[in-house]
Formats: sequence, C-alpha cells, structure tokens
Amino acid sequence: MGFDRNAARALDTAAAGGARYADIRFEVARSERIEVRNGVVVTLSDATSRGYGIRALFDGAWGFAASSDLTDAGLDRTAARAVAIARAGAAIARRRFGDVPPKAYVDTFATPMHRDPDDVPLDERVELLLAAEAALHADPSVRVGRAWLDLWRTDKFFYSTIGSKIAQSLRQTGSGMQAMAVGDGDVQTRTFPGDVGLYQSGGWEVVEAAQLPANAQRIGEESAALLRAPQSPSGTCDIVLGGSQVSLQIHESCGHPAELDRVMGWEANFSGVSFLEIDRLERLQYGSDIVTIQIDNTLPAGLATAAYDDEGTRSGVSDIIRAGRLAGYEMSNDTARTIGRQSNACVRAESWEFVPMIRMCNLNLLPGDVAFDHLFDDIADGLYMESNRSWSIDDHRLNFQFGCEIAWEIKNGRRGRMLKNPTYAGVTPQFWNSCDAIADRDSWVAWGTPNCGKGEPIQTGRTAQCASPARFRNVRVGVGYGG
Amino acid sequence: MDKAAREALGARILERSNADHTEALVHSAQNELTRFTHNAIHQNVASNDVAVSIRAIVGLRTGVARTNVVNDDSLQACVERAIALARLAPEDPGLADLPNGGAVQTPPGAFAPKTADATPAIRTRMCEAIFEVAERDGLWAAGYASTNATGITILNTRGATASFDGTAAGVNVKMNADDSTGFGEAYANDVSAIGARTIAETAAQKALASAKPRAVDPGEWTVILEPAAFGELFSYIGDHFSAQSFDEGSSFLSDGLDKPYLGENVTIRDDYAHPLAPGMPIDFEGQPTQRLALVEDGVGRAIVTDSYWAKRLNRTNTGHALPAPNAYGPQASHLVVDPGSASIAQLIAGTKRGLLISRFWYIRTVDQRRAIVTGMTRDGTFLIEDGSIVCGVRNMRFNHSVIEALRHCEFSSDVRRTGSFDYSMVVPSAKIEGFTFTSGTDF
Repeated sequence: MGFDRNAARALDTAAAGGARYADIRFEVARSERIEVRNGVVVTLSDATSRGYGIRALFDGAWGFAASSDLTDAGLDRTAARAVAIARAGAAIARRRFGDVPPKAYVDTFATPMHRDPDDVPLDERVELLLAAEAALHADPSVRVGRAWLDLWRTDKFFYSTIGSKIAQSLRQTGSGMQAMAVGDGDVQTRTFPGDVGLYQSGGWEVVEAAQLPANAQRIGEESAALLRAPQSPSGTCDIVLGGSQVSLQIHESCGHPAELDRVMGWEANFSGVSFLEIDRLERLQYGSDIVTIQIDNTLPAGLATAAYDDEGTRSGVSDIIRAGRLAGYEMSNDTARTIGRQSNACVRAESWEFVPMIRMCNLNLLPGDVAFDHLFDDIADGLYMESNRSWSIDDHRLNFQFGCEIAWEIKNGRRGRMLKNPTYAGVTPQFWNSCDAIADRDSWVAWGTPNCGKGEPIQTGRTAQCASPARFRNVRVGVGYGG
Repeated sequence: MDKAAREALGARILERSNADHTEALVHSAQNELTRFTHNAIHQNVASNDVAVSIRAIVGLRTGVARTNVVNDDSLQACVERAIALARLAPEDPGLADLPNGGAVQTPPGAFAPKTADATPAIRTRMCEAIFEVAERDGLWAAGYASTNATGITILNTRGATASFDGTAAGVNVKMNADDSTGFGEAYANDVSAIGARTIAETAAQKALASAKPRAVDPGEWTVILEPAAFGELFSYIGDHFSAQSFDEGSSFLSDGLDKPYLGENVTIRDDYAHPLAPGMPIDFEGQPTQRLALVEDGVGRAIVTDSYWAKRLNRTNTGHALPAPNAYGPQASHLVVDPGSASIAQLIAGTKRGLLISRFWYIRTVDQRRAIVTGMTRDGTFLIEDGSIVCGVRNMRFNHSVIEALRHCEFSSDVRRTGSFDYSMVVPSAKIEGFTFTSGTDF
C-alpha cells in the first residue's frame, strides 16, 4: 500500500509517546455532484480530499487527531497530538475506556460495480439530469424542478499497532429529482425515488435503476395535483406505508435507538438516548412476530456496505430485532465489551477528519410474503402514504410524528383519490406491534440515507435501511393539521 | 494558515487559470472538541485542514473543483478540472459577474487568540468544573467543550480580495437526574468569556427543579421559550429570508415586501457585527455583507441576495452568498431578534398558567409555506401557575406555525447568543400565546 511507510512512522510515534494502542486511517475521497434546477446546472463540482486520522489510547482515555499534512513532520505532530489529547483526558478520567481490538486483519476489498461512472461521459450525465428535470415541469404550477446525482469514491487504508492492514475502495452512487408546485399560498413537493433519491453502493447502474426520465412527468403532475387535492383526514385508521417511508421509520425508530453508544448515554446531549435499554435485551417485544430487522454490512447494494468498519472489524450479518423481539445492538469494540459481546462492525467516520463512531450502516427489514397490491385487501377505510416530508422523534426514540408528501385513501380494499399533507404519529413499540403485513421481496429496495447526522462535531453518515411497503393497524393520522 | 499565506495560495490559483474569470476560496480550519458523558470524557478530538475551492467561468458556463492537496501539481490539476467542468456545463443566461469586492471592517472580537491557542488541558479544566457540579448534586453530565479557529480568503480575477479570521468557543451541558434533565449553554468568540461552572450550575438547577415531573394535558398553552428554545424554533424560518425562496414562492414573504406579516413588536435583523456574535463581514464571494433589517415592526422589509439572485431580481447584492456552487441560494446567517421591555422574571410573573421551556428537540418542518413545525420539549420544562414556577412537567410534542407564534408573542428585555452545529443567532426569551401541543411522553 502507498501509505505503509507513513503509517509505520505515525504508529511508532504514538507508541513512543506512550499509547497502548493506536490506529491510523488514511482516506482519499473523490466526489462529484451535479444538480440541475429549473433548467440551469446550478452545481457541477468535483472535490478531492485527502488526509488521515489517528486514534491513540493512553491510560484508558482516547485521543484523536486528524490532519491533511502528509509530511514526516506533520505525521509526527499529529500522532503526538493524539497522544497528548488522550493524556489530557486521562488526567481526570473517572472511567477507563478501550480494549485492544481482538483480531488483526490484512485484507483488501472493492465495491462490486457493473459500470464505472467514470466510463459515462460527463455530458451524458448532465444530459440525463437536464432531460429529467425538464419533464418535471408538466404543469405551470411547478415552480421548481430539481434533479441531481452524486458519485462518491473513497479509498481507505487502515493500519493498527496490533498488525491490521486493510485497504478498501468504496464506490457509492445516487440520484434523485424533485418537483415543487406553488399556488394559492400553498407549496407541495414530490420527490423521486423516495424522499432523497436512490443511493446505493455500486456504479452507474444505480443511476439507471432510479429511472428518473421515465418517471419525471408523473412526479411533476402529482406535485401539481396535490395543490388541488383534499386535505388528508385526522383520526385513527389503518395505513400502508411505501417502501422509502418504511425505510425512514426503521432509521428513526430502530436504527438510532439500537446504537449501543446511545443506549449507554454517550449521545445523551445531542443525538439523545434510547428506550432499548440493555436490561430489555432478548425480552422487549419491539414489534409483531413478522418484524425481523438485521444488520447486513455485506449486502452488495447497501449504501454502507464495506468489508471492514473504521475500527478494523470485519463485517457480517446479525439480528437487531428477531421475530419482533430485541436481539442485539449496533456496536463498537468499546461498547460491545460492556455487555459481553463482540463488535459487529458498525463504526464509521464521515471522513478522515472525524473520529469513528457507531453508525447504523445497513439495517434491513426482512421482506414478508404479501404481494404489494394485496396489502390493501382488507382495509375498509385507510390511507396509503409515500415519500417522507417531515420526521421528528423524541430523544428516547418513542414519540414520533412523520409527514409524507402524498397519500391516497383506501376504501374497501382499493386505492382511491389523492390526498395532501398526510401525517401519522405513534409510539415506537406499539406502532411496530401493529404491523401485520410486509410486502414480499419483489417490492424490497435497498434504500439508502446519504445524510444521517450524528455526533459532535456533527458527522454525516451514509446508511441504508432496505425495506418493502408494510401495513400498520389503528394509527393516529392527521396530526399537525388539526388532528 | 494565516491571512498572508492564504492570499498567497489564492494568488497561485488565479495565476494558473486561463478561464475568463476565476474565483479562489481558501479555507483553513482548526477544530477541537472534548466531549463527555457520565461525568467522564469519552471523546477528545482535533483536526486541522486547508482546502481550496476554485470557481472557473468560461463565457456563461461555470465549473467548481475543490481539493485539500495544495502542492503545485494538485493546484494545477484542480484549476484545469474546474475549467474542464465549466466548458462541459450548459450555458446559464442568468449568470452574474463575480463581485469586485469592497472595503470591509471585521467586527471587534471576532478573533480571540486565546481560543485559537486553546489546548486540550483548557477544555479538560472546563469539563472538570462541570463534573464537580454534577457530582455535588448527584447528577451526571453530558455535553462538550469546543474551541475552533477559521480562516477564509476569497480572491477573484475581477479584483476582489477579502479575508476573515474568526474563532468560536462553546460549552453545552445536559445534566441528568433520575427522572429529569436540565440544560445550559454558552457560546463566545473568546473561550475565556465562557464560565463552564456557571453553565453547569444552570443545567443542574433545571434538572433538580424538574424532578418528579407531572404530566399535563396537550392543547393550547401560553409558553415562555428561553433563548435556546426560541432560537431553535426561529431557525426554521431562516431560509424564508433568502431571495431564492422569496422568488420561488416557498417563503412567508413571497406575497411581497412592505406588508405586515408578524406582530408589531417583532424586528428581525441580519447583523454580523452584533457584539455577542461578531462574525464574517464578507460572504463567500468576497462581497461585503450588508447589515439589514429583514422585518421591522412586523413588516417584511428585506431579503438577502448574492450576485446571482441580485442580478436575477434586479436588486442590490447584500453579500449573503454561500460557497459556490450551492443550490440553496443566499442565506441570512447572522440573525438577531430585537428584545422587548420586560425581564424574563416579569414574563413569568405575568403568566396565569403556562409552560417555561428550556430547549426543544428534533424540530422539523411539517408545512413549508405556513412554517408549521413539529418537535418535542426537552431538558427542563416547567409548569407556571399564577406567576410562579410550580414544578417540572413531562415532555410534550408540539405542532405550531413559527409565523403564527411571531404574531402573538412578547419578548424579554435581554438577549443571548444561541446556536447549534448549523446556525448561530442572538435572541431574547419569547412569551407566545396559544402554542399547540399535540401529545405527550412518559418522561
């Protein structure tokens, strides 16, 4: 690897300074974003960022220092700084952190990819977005059309004082579009696919799978139609949620509460705590028995897929919710140790500048056995909602309220007229216990969330929650609009 | 990296470009943060970086490339990449000339050497003071102490040369008791102006005073929002002052300026020179930033622009650009709300039945144009009866329009700086009538 000598120097410096353990993560990240807004390419940018972060463990306290200075002096200074920061913390430590990770790996990994985005000419990328965005203006009330794509390539090189040496080349790709219609003091938006677009690990095939041009006119028309649509009702009814909204529901009401650092209070001031306390492990009935949610950081299309996390732990598959019961957490080495388990490789940093922390990675609701169309079969009076518009949940991850961009009424098993401003609310375990049907694998999509915020200083995480549409009974709806 | 070095780096970029016009944005950052929970440090970090962003304009076409590798070869490649992107971009007939800058005066106190030179030991001492208060009262503290230094330089081939050096320090504390929590915060440019122990005492007092919280019924309440709570709510109309949202119809001001939108007691400014939060006198295009009254006595008076939106709407460039490229339009990033005449004690004393709220949690927009937002109370919510605080109450969810709130409100006489990772502002406490809560929690 190209950083072997640099890594050895930095780790030696940290060890000489007294670190019991240290690791260094070099990253070279390249990103491209194109965004078209109302026929204008408002963003056409290319960015390269290169640097490294060093973690040092001294007397049970962690220090982390990051720099883009790759000179020998810079490496020495940054390694020494990591140790100095750890020493400062150790001086007043009321508890001791940090075991040396149990296993070292020497390995390489590259994201599987069908078509390298670099093989697609830039003007072809731009033309795709211009065509899709133009088709969004299907009605004069569409005041804003947007279409975008992101191409990310990250080369990571991880080394540790116990002998790990891991090189990973990760490719992540996403695209989406949005129409905003304005009229009579109202603003209505439709976004496709899902509420952020479609983001997955992989190459240009991810953009092709999003099918933006084929859906643009319909999305534009729907945003305009929403201006004229009746208000979605308030009260209690059965609801069916589209796949991307189920993905968001998993993210907020399972993904975040199952982060073990949050359970332990490490995120108490900013990201909040969790109702999934450790004494509820293997006991809490989180959802109905058809609800199984797994971490699978090996899933090829998952946005967070990697062979190793940023502590050098190998990825695998493990249960968080098994047949409705709390079965596990997303863990780091430090947190897993406190409950007598091994890390399940859920530690990520946004980039070289940030300290790695627990992230939900790929967290997937396993598909059910009902065809999507049959989710409506025995609903006499309900709502089908798609695409998130607002999301809020309390700092224990219990009381939630979500709004969607669009709804359709369900009458006697059939989808009826369009409704605007749908919202629903609930309490996490009651809600998931009301889930009585999940659509089958034909509707299962590896939805990615490219912009999850957590930590101080805040970091953006790229997570995935793969899901199918699902049905929930007796849910409170219409909150925020008089409900 | 100091101003001279940033300017030299920017000049190296401009001299390498053969685009019609070129802008170089040089950004250096030293960020340090010590984070704690359960009265112990669990995260202690520092990072430093220098990055450049290059905007190339060829005819009516624009491309932007960025890198943090600043050797000659990399800069040359980055310049060429920006130009190549520009040549591949479609023409934008609305493209504006880059600004040619102007004289600026950095507000006193924007840069504090003590913050720029702060060591991990300084933050450790702040944490220790917080832990001592927590342990004295049988509580556990979670939060952070941070010290940051930032340098910005913008140069372009139309003659703009502008630089800013600023510092920021913050302490943010949540105190945790068995069944209650409390909150305190302080932000300043100079770390020595922050009293960590005082913040800890405030948070501890709130946690202790809200023990054994009672449940109260959702519904319409009179609320008094302390600055952290009001600022968080208020931040959700920040983008309504952008020329882009104004023009596209998603702002509450979109029906036109010089109309009454808010209560007659509401004046909102964008002021980078406020003494509590001295900030950047330039925007990210190097244009001097205007100090503006956005809403005056309830009447919408101004929106903020950058070069693109000034040209498009035939308005003055107010100097509120974000770094190029951006799809969000210009932003008012130094919001100030003028105070009222009553102390917060008087606001409480004048309340028959209401809630005192320290802080909100996870606010999100439910309806953009009407500015309806939802969120939860957090870390110190109290029942007020007959002018006095009676007890703590369990947290509740609200759904309310920020615009409606600003039509029926009264402000305290003092203002405080508040903020989060994405905003900083100066606001008073606010008493709001008819604030709608829709559900509760068990905690």
